[in-house]
Amino acid sequence: MPQRIEVRLAWRNVWRNWRRTALTVAATVFAVFLVEMSVAMSAGTHSKMIEDGVKMASGHLTLSGRGYLEQRTLEQFVPASAELERLLDRTEAIIGWAARVSSFALLSFGDRSNGVAVLGVDPARESSVSSLPTRVSSGRFLSSDGRREIVLGAALARDLAAEVGDELLLYGIAYSLETAYELFRVVGILRIPSPDLERALALISLRDAQEFFVYGDRVSEIAILARDAEAGLALRDPLEAALVALGTEGLELYGWAELMPELEQFVLLDRGGMYLQLIILVVVVGFGILNTILMSVLERTRELGVMRALGLSSGAVSRIVYLESMAVSAVGLVIGLALAAPCALYFEQNPIPLRGEFEAMTELLGMEPLIVFDFAPAQVGYVSLMVAIVALLAAAYPAFKAGRLRPVDALRSL
Amino acid sequence: MWLRMAWRNVWRNPRRTGIVVSAVAIGIGACLFSMSLSFGVAQQMVTTAIETQLGHLQIHAQGYEENRDLSTRLEDGGKRARAALSARSDIAAFASRVRGQGLLNSPRASAGVRIVGIDPVAEAQVTSLAKSLVQGVWLDGQSPRVLIGERLAKRLQVGIGKKLVLSVQDLAGELTGRAYRVGGIFHAPSSELNSSVVFVSLDQAQSLFGLGEAVTEIVVVAKEDDGLDRIQAELRAELAGVAEVRTWAELQPLLKYMAGAVHQNAYVMYATVFVAMAFGIANVLFMSVHERAREIGVMLAMGMKRWRIVALVVAESLLLTLVGLFIGIAAALLGTLAFRDGIDFSAFAEGLAAFGANSRVAPVLRAEDLMVPIGVGSFAALLASVWPAWRVASARPADSLRRL
Repeated sequence: MPQRIEVRLAWRNVWRNWRRTALTVAATVFAVFLVEMSVAMSAGTHSKMIEDGVKMASGHLTLSGRGYLEQRTLEQFVPASAELERLLDRTEAIIGWAARVSSFALLSFGDRSNGVAVLGVDPARESSVSSLPTRVSSGRFLSSDGRREIVLGAALARDLAAEVGDELLLYGIAYSLETAYELFRVVGILRIPSPDLERALALISLRDAQEFFVYGDRVSEIAILARDAEAGLALRDPLEAALVALGTEGLELYGWAELMPELEQFVLLDRGGMYLQLIILVVVVGFGILNTILMSVLERTRELGVMRALGLSSGAVSRIVYLESMAVSAVGLVIGLALAAPCALYFEQNPIPLRGEFEAMTELLGMEPLIVFDFAPAQVGYVSLMVAIVALLAAAYPAFKAGRLRPVDALRSL
Repeated sequence: MWLRMAWRNVWRNPRRTGIVVSAVAIGIGACLFSMSLSFGVAQQMVTTAIETQLGHLQIHAQGYEENRDLSTRLEDGGKRARAALSARSDIAAFASRVRGQGLLNSPRASAGVRIVGIDPVAEAQVTSLAKSLVQGVWLDGQSPRVLIGERLAKRLQVGIGKKLVLSVQDLAGELTGRAYRVGGIFHAPSSELNSSVVFVSLDQAQSLFGLGEAVTEIVVVAKEDDGLDRIQAELRAELAGVAEVRTWAELQPLLKYMAGAVHQNAYVMYATVFVAMAFGIANVLFMSVHERAREIGVMLAMGMKRWRIVALVVAESLLLTLVGLFIGIAAALLGTLAFRDGIDFSAFAEGLAAFGANSRVAPVLRAEDLMVPIGVGSFAALLASVWPAWRVASARPADSLRRL
């Protein structure tokens, strides 16, 4: 451990040339501020992307028949089971779950028709896992007791020129491999922030879907929502074990990242790119610290020589240099975090809306045009650790030079 | 003489200068190289989209914006448009298509698909689809065969030669279906093509939908990537009232936005890195000015104009930065050269494919991409020299001479 005197010496050296120190501290503050803001922004934006995506698709976890991931046909299903429902209700980490039937069919109105992804949902349960029921832009969502009601994505309705109240023909292949057709009445239109989904999705009630596809009481999938992506991940193993204990043969649990690999990889790529940029920034600032400390050591060659001659060990001299570097960075770190934390917290409450091309772009990508921040205490830890590493690395060369000084040579210089 | 003095000042303390120059060089080199990778992805996204589907321009019947379906069609097969295209010398190739929607059923499953009827000979000249076949053969225009993507084949659990039924609603509004055999399976660099598009020959599509001679779009590939706006304007004028002409950017605004966003991200990146550098540069200038306080005092006392000394400091800052810049740029160029065959990102293949990019990313740097860091860097150097220069300018010769 460094002695008190070493700490005091280091601290005094820091302020020996205030202008130089101020510039170095300013650079550190700038970098710390940007790093903390970027980390908070990426944490917020990415978790929102995942939550939005999960709530438009199949929850954090999806239970279905084996092979669902590759095939997604009516052949993979979950048979009805009261025990399974009880298990899902009983498991605490599950916030909501809903059974669905999912297949494809042709939907036509007048002389127009589109291939659609038909999703049979339980109107009473669906809102516990997905945001789809809240996205109705005109009309209403499916009702629990209504029959042959259908809700369309807005782009799909536009393509078919169908409006609320119109009667459409759904035509598809049932589980029995027979042709199935039935008339459905449009009760609502959904505005979905994903162009592909909005153009392809048609919702009917679970009961109608089971009848239409001659599916009995089977369902294609059970979507399970946890508190957040992390909780979903933690839930997976215990739930899997509970399912095995229940004796459910041929069922499989899928994570959101398996069902939407492109979303997970996009997040990873985006985060990787951001870290790369931040590292470049921090390295540049690190060189600034290196230069300041090195100059400070070289200026003091004579002084250090005197200290060595008076009996200070070479280790102590090196330690003083390290402390000096740590002190400069610590001041920058504290000021930077003190500036960044309130900003990040403010933007956490008030997300930044995007405008112009960026607004159009995020909407086409299926995201809300918002920059969301998420400030977490753990981020302060990461940033501090990073700054500490940079400060130590930057001080390594000057400290080595200072520690290796031979008192005789040092005293002779200047 | 004046520049030589600045140059000498730069190298007065080689270690100090070396550190700043390497900070600039590493910062710029790393920035440029990481940018070159994202430029590479962006460029690949655009070229892939143009080569596999979009073409440079597309011609549709009027009203395409409102109705992107069979009701918007070129009745005579787009004769006027084809004649106009054939007459131009800047068009490399063009091909007619029919686009519709339908349901593709195998004995095991069904999938909603976009049906694209293509002229097998012409299509091979405008898009790279023929090259992405992994099994089977290209369409011949006669036999009832379809091409489907790998993901779709897996979903439907079918292989080459297996039977599929395509159900559609024809132009008369009748639901109709027809059986086809899988003629080929392709692996395109776009997840959308692989999972939800089925290709049939143009004749087959026309008879399936009961379209007669009509087509819904003509895809055009120009000889050059540049000058599309001019071609578009001329074709528009020629086909006014008959057909509409759109560029790839109008058809796929997302592509254009993403390519733009990559460049905007680059500007932000340069700005932050250079601000961080400016602090370091300012620091070195201060030290250099501080060391030379006496020398500067002598120069002032001997009657040298103040602005000349200020200019000397500014020049020192610029020289310092430019040396670092050029080393950084050279390193980045070497990097792009070393990795010109691409870096493998197959761990992110699906994420990249969702945007139509390949998992092998080759860095791309154009001359104009180098101008931005040079410009921003010079500005940062000027910025960094403001405070030190002001110190010099306000120095009093008597004080300076007394020091040390």
